[in-house]
Formats: sequence, structure tokens, C-alpha cells
Amino acid sequence: MSQSEPVIEIRNLSKIYRDFWGRPKVRALNSLSLDVRKGEVFGLLGPNGSGKTTTLKLLLGLLFPTEGEITILGKSAADVSKNERIGYLPEESYLYRFLNAYETLDFYGRLFNMTAAQRKERSEKLLDLVKLAPQARRRQLKEYSKGMTRRIGVAQALINDPDLVMLDEPTSGLDPLGSRDMKDLILDLKKQGKTVLMCSHLLADVQDVCDRIAILYGGELKVMDRVDTLLKSEDKTQINTSKLSAAAISEVEAVLKRHGASDVSVDHPTATLEDLFLKTVQESRDRPGHRNVADRTSAT
Amino acid sequence: MYFDPAENFIYPPYAIYNWMIVAGFFTAVVLVVSLLTLLVSKGSSGFGVFFTELIGMLKDVFSLSPRRIWALTRLTFMEAYRRKALAVFVVFGLLFMFAGWFMGDSKEIQPDQVKVYISFVLTAVSWLTLPVVLILACFGIPEDIRLRSIHTVVTKPARRIEIVLGRMIGVSMIGWLVLSVMSVVGYLWIVRQIPQASQELLKCRVPIYGLVSFKDREGNYGKEGINVGDIWAFRSYIEGATKSRAEWRFFNVDETMLDSEGNLRLENSFSAFRSYKGDMTRPLFYDIKLFNIEHPEISYTTQPQPVNEFRSKQDIIPRKVTVDDVQYDILNDLTTKGSDKVPKGILGIEVACIDRDQYIGMARSDLFIRMPDRPFWVGYWKAIFGTALTVLLVSMIGVAASTMVKAPIAAVLTAVMYILSGKNPHQFMDQLVAGQVQGGGVLESVYRLVMHLGPSTELPANPAFTVVQIFDSILMNFLWLCKQVIPRSQYFNMPEYVANGFDVPWATSLIPSLLVTSAFIIPCVMMGYFALRTRELESK
Repeated sequence: MSQSEPVIEIRNLSKIYRDFWGRPKVRALNSLSLDVRKGEVFGLLGPNGSGKTTTLKLLLGLLFPTEGEITILGKSAADVSKNERIGYLPEESYLYRFLNAYETLDFYGRLFNMTAAQRKERSEKLLDLVKLAPQARRRQLKEYSKGMTRRIGVAQALINDPDLVMLDEPTSGLDPLGSRDMKDLILDLKKQGKTVLMCSHLLADVQDVCDRIAILYGGELKVMDRVDTLLKSEDKTQINTSKLSAAAISEVEAVLKRHGASDVSVDHPTATLEDLFLKTVQESRDRPGHRNVADRTSAT
Repeated sequence: MYFDPAENFIYPPYAIYNWMIVAGFFTAVVLVVSLLTLLVSKGSSGFGVFFTELIGMLKDVFSLSPRRIWALTRLTFMEAYRRKALAVFVVFGLLFMFAGWFMGDSKEIQPDQVKVYISFVLTAVSWLTLPVVLILACFGIPEDIRLRSIHTVVTKPARRIEIVLGRMIGVSMIGWLVLSVMSVVGYLWIVRQIPQASQELLKCRVPIYGLVSFKDREGNYGKEGINVGDIWAFRSYIEGATKSRAEWRFFNVDETMLDSEGNLRLENSFSAFRSYKGDMTRPLFYDIKLFNIEHPEISYTTQPQPVNEFRSKQDIIPRKVTVDDVQYDILNDLTTKGSDKVPKGILGIEVACIDRDQYIGMARSDLFIRMPDRPFWVGYWKAIFGTALTVLLVSMIGVAASTMVKAPIAAVLTAVMYILSGKNPHQFMDQLVAGQVQGGGVLESVYRLVMHLGPSTELPANPAFTVVQIFDSILMNFLWLCKQVIPRSQYFNMPEYVANGFDVPWATSLIPSLLVTSAFIIPCVMMGYFALRTRELESK
């Protein structure tokens, strides 16, 4: 399968939810057509009720399409054998809450016909990968926090070393650290050549990891393209450089105005809140201990 | 209540016939219902989906993975364990800790008391196990759908058929575990409750039944004897001091039917009927004649024996008997030697009532050759085997039902099927279907009720009533179909044998029940497969 070859092909996919009497209740998807290519991270975006999760469930065969065709890894969505190469993380981690982490991965490993040795090795590797604390691994999932449940959910999705990973709201419920780990994991999967389809409404997360996105609204595809292409402002120019003196900044402004630039603003860039948070946590880990923090709000 | 093992025998050809009926009709019902459901939900494309799924199911059968099935079995097992389903042992423990208080003084044990103990244990074990199995079977898959845990299973390579099988096996295994532990405890409890001196009451008789016919007072053969006015026409009576006789023929009589001392043990449970009071302290008497049916003159008649009313009685006949200084060997002289007309090993036994104007009543099962007894534990575990098959049946039906409807409805459906499997509901359904119940079908009965018409009143012949009759006949046919697929408890009444001191025969009880249970596997698995494949596994 070449890099540009589609792993997922969706053609004119529609889904109408019906009531008990078969009367149409909601049109959740309307003639959706899109491709997801091998090795890319594809994001499905949209507000609640836009049809993201419905699309994912249709792809997995959990729902049946009203119209349209789906091909995943060259097979139909109803074909169970496709699941050999797919990993799925549901929106909520719908795992068996009475099992512990090892039992959970062992159970899902058995479903892939893995041997005991393979299951054991893979479980240890995945639990390390998702950074689940060793002391938590023997506890039943019902005692887990949302973040821990999410981590074990990811581990079960990767138990078979899948070629295609489908993640439904992968960062929901995670703290910034967990969220960063998840995004790193997705980028790592991409590096390994795996295809990732994720749906989310956390735009920053999508922007950080996705190569291409599709925005759904009311069950219809509104936008689909590469993230950088979509976000590029053709009518603006950005210049990045190391720190300049005030005189140099004035000179740059003058030069820019001379060349017809309007709305010129030369300033120091601000970091994202996520970067600040991660930096603070990292420093706290490196240098544990209580510190007095001055409240600067009164000074402003 | 009198228990007649012979009445409960299920002969293998009938069991095979029943297997075909259950497997055939139930499978047909599942297929038809699945097709109709698909046609309703998907329109004309339902045909295509139906055949695609049918072929898919066959493919899945050939690609079943024992490891995946075992994974789902283990999951079911762990789920039950972690959710405290085994707390049923606490109820069981309490029951047995205090049961002895209410079940009489254990120093003086009567035979009937032994029956009560055994019945109590086997009933308690069954009644505590089956509800647990029912709940686990009916709530497992619906809970998975409700909590959406099933999403993480069906998005793996697990086939729907494996999910159904895994659940069925898992629930059955839990039931069997519960059953085994309770049975061991129950067995020990029975043995401990009965004092050492009365341990022989724990018996496991192996009866050999013959065929009976009757002779009237003139000595003419007939199928039945005299009816002395009993409403329950189970027994026929022979008149004393006449030519009236009850005649049995036992087949394949050989050395294996003799006890360790070489005697032929006959056991009877005759009943006495007095036409006059006489001396009430004196029992009625009978004698038994063993004879060669080819040469009736070769015979041996016992001394007159008193009838043990309401109790069974044994007559020990030595292998070598002497009649008028001529010694006969029961097996060599009184049984047939085999010829073109008569097979080998037939023994004739004739019973006569000696007292004039008095009557002795008997049925086919009231006289049998008692083979060497088996140890009590053999019969006990065979009875447990019968309950184990019921566990399997309930788990199969429960899991299959739970793939189609919500858990409480599946539980009610399974429970209703279990209740209807009883002897009386089946008899009633038989009568209804055969048109033997007065008052007609459903609509006709309602019409009669509303119009205050008795069951024997002729109804007017008009078009409306014709419609009623057509509708009723459709319902009757539907009932007939239901009757075929509802299990029969007659197949699983092994505890009755043991409680009454009989061994459970393999050929006429255990193997037929195993066969009939296996008949439910195909349709139940098929039902589960179709339901899980053709429905969207979303909690709604």
C-alpha cells in the first residue's frame, strides 16, 4: 500500500436514526465522502452532534449505514476480519470495570489470538508506554481515575499493534500532562507509519497532531484539507527572529512601512498556556519543594 | 405421590425424534423470524442481508477460535465472581445449617424421611443454582450493550458467534461450579443426617420391568384387570380365588439379573382392596408363579405371601427351585431357550390373589426384577447431571433471548419457558392442540364467556364464527409450534428417580436428556448470532 493510498474510503455515507416504528428521527450524516490515507493523522472535527462519533461507529460496523459505502483496509465495514489490523479507543473507555489493567490487556490480547507470552510482553510494553503507574496495574478499573482509564483504554487499542488506530475524543478528560502524552503518542504512531483517525472538538489538540482535518456540521462535510493549508493566512506575513533591541525594532517597522505594510506589529511572542503549564510541572519535578509565588496581578 | 420410573423412561428412538423436532422446528422458527425482522427493518434488501448473514455464520463456524471463546468464557466467569454472584453459597450454607432442625429426629429414620432428605437437597441445589444462572445468562450481554463494553469486543476480531458461545459456556460453567460445590455439601449432609444403622435406606435400585397383561376370572387374557372404582386408573385389580391373574413377561433374563448370592430378587408394591372388612389385622395373600412361556407346565409357585400395603416388598427366589422332587434352574428351565418363534431369555411370572372376594391391584411397574443395587452416590451424581443439563439449557435459552430483548424481558421469557417445560403445562398444551379442552380456542372461549354459553352449547354457524374458528386454528398451530420448542422437564427429572430409591438409567434417561439438550444448541446459537449481527449495538 503506497503512502497516498487510502486506508479508509467513505462514499456518500448517510445515516438516519429511526424511532421504534421506523420513522426517521435524526439525520446524523448526509452524503459524507472522504478518504484517509496511509500514514497520516486525520482529524474529524465538529461541534457536538455533528456526526463525528457516528462516522467512527459506522466505520467500525457498530452502526449500519442508511446509504453509502465504506471500505477500510480494503474490506467492508461489516467484515470482522478487518479488525485484526484496527485499534479503537471509544469516546468513554467502555472497558470491563471489574478487571485490572493486566487482566484487561490479557483479555483483549486473547481476542487477537495472541499467545500467553505475547500477551504478557505486549501488556508490559503498553502499560509502560501509556505511563500507567505500576502500583495501579493490579487494581480493578472501577478504582481508576478518568485519566488512568483513558490510558488503559489506549493500551487496549494498541494491543494488536494495529495499522489503523481510531481514537474518539482521545484527550477528553485528561489533564494537560496526560493530554500532552496522548498527543506525543499519536505523533509517535505516525512516525511508526500507522494511520490515525481521531475525532475531537478540542481544536488545539487537533491542530497539534493532525496532518489533515475534516470539519463536520449537521452531519455534512464542510471543510477538508491539510491543517497547515487551512490555517495559512495568505494576506499576512510573519517574521520570526531572535530578540532585537528597541532601535532595531523601530528600524524594522520603518522598513516594513516603506514597503507598504499596514497593521505592523512587532512584539515578543507569548507562549501557549499549555507550554507554561508543562514547563512549571517539569520544574516542580526537577526541584521538588514549596516555593513562595508572588501574585503579580496587584502590580498591573 | 407415587413415582413410576417406567412411566418416565424416554426410549432412544423417541429421543432422536424429539431431537429432530426441536432442532428442526426451533431452527426453522429462528430463521423465519430473522428473515421477517430483516424484511421489516430493511425492506426488500432484507433478503440479501439474510442470506449474506447466513453464509457469514457458516463461515464463522469454520473460523471459530477456541482461544477467543475461552477469553469470553473467562470474562463471564470473572464478571460473575467479582460481582458477587457466588454469594448464593451463603444462602445455601444458611439453609443447610438449620435444615436439620425442621426435618425430624435423625435417630429414627423412616424410608419416607430419606426421600424427604434427598428431595430437599436436590431441590434446594436446583432452585438455588437456576436463578443465578438465569440472571447471569439474561443480564450479561444486555449489560455489555448498555455500558457499551461490547464495543471494545466487537471491534476486535471476535465473531458474534464466539461472543454468544463464550457467554453460554461461561454462564454454564458458573452454574456447574455452584452446582458441584452445593452437591458435594448436600451429599455429605444427607449421609450425615442418616444414622449408620439406617444407611442401607440410601439405596439405588436398578429395576428391570416386564410387560403385563391380565386374565379375568375365567382365565381369558385382557389388557386390564378389574377397576374397583379408583379414579386414578393406574392399577388394575385381580380377584381372589378365581382364575384372575396378572401376568408379566420379562425379557433378556440372564445371570446379570441375579444378586451376589445367585437369587432372583423380585420387588413388588401391590395394593390391596377389600370387598368386605374381615379380619383387618390379617393381610391379603398372593402367590407368584414363575413359568416357561413355551412350556407352561414347567413352573414354580412360591408360598402364599402377605401383601405389604403402602410399602414395597421383596420376594427372593433361589436360582434352583424344587417342584415335586424335580429341580429347576430358573435361568435354564423357566426362561425360553430361543427358537424361531420365541426369543431367548423370556421369563413368565404370574401373580394370583389367594383370598376369596378380595382384590389385589397392580400396574406394570408394581413388579420388577431388582438387579444388584448401585451405590447411592452413583444415582445421586446422575441426578446432579440432570440438573447440570438444565443449567446448560437455561443458560443457552437465556443468552439467546438476551441478544434480542432487554435483560428483564429475556429473564421473564426464559423463566416462562422453564415453567412451561413442566409436565402439567405440556399436558395442557397437548390437550389444547388436540382439541380435547372444552370451550374451543382463544376467541371462541372469550365469545362463550361473554355470551354466557356453556362449553357444550352448539355455536351458530355464521361467517363471524367461521372467522373466529379460523383465527383460533391459526393460534392453535402457533401453540403447536411453541409446544415443540419448549423443553420438556420430563427429560430432566433425574432427582425423582434418586429420591425414590432408583438408579437413573443411562439409556432411557441420561442419554435422551443429553440428546434433547444438544438439540437446543444450534437454534440458540443461531438466534444469538442473527440478533447480534443484524442489530446496531448501541444502547438506546
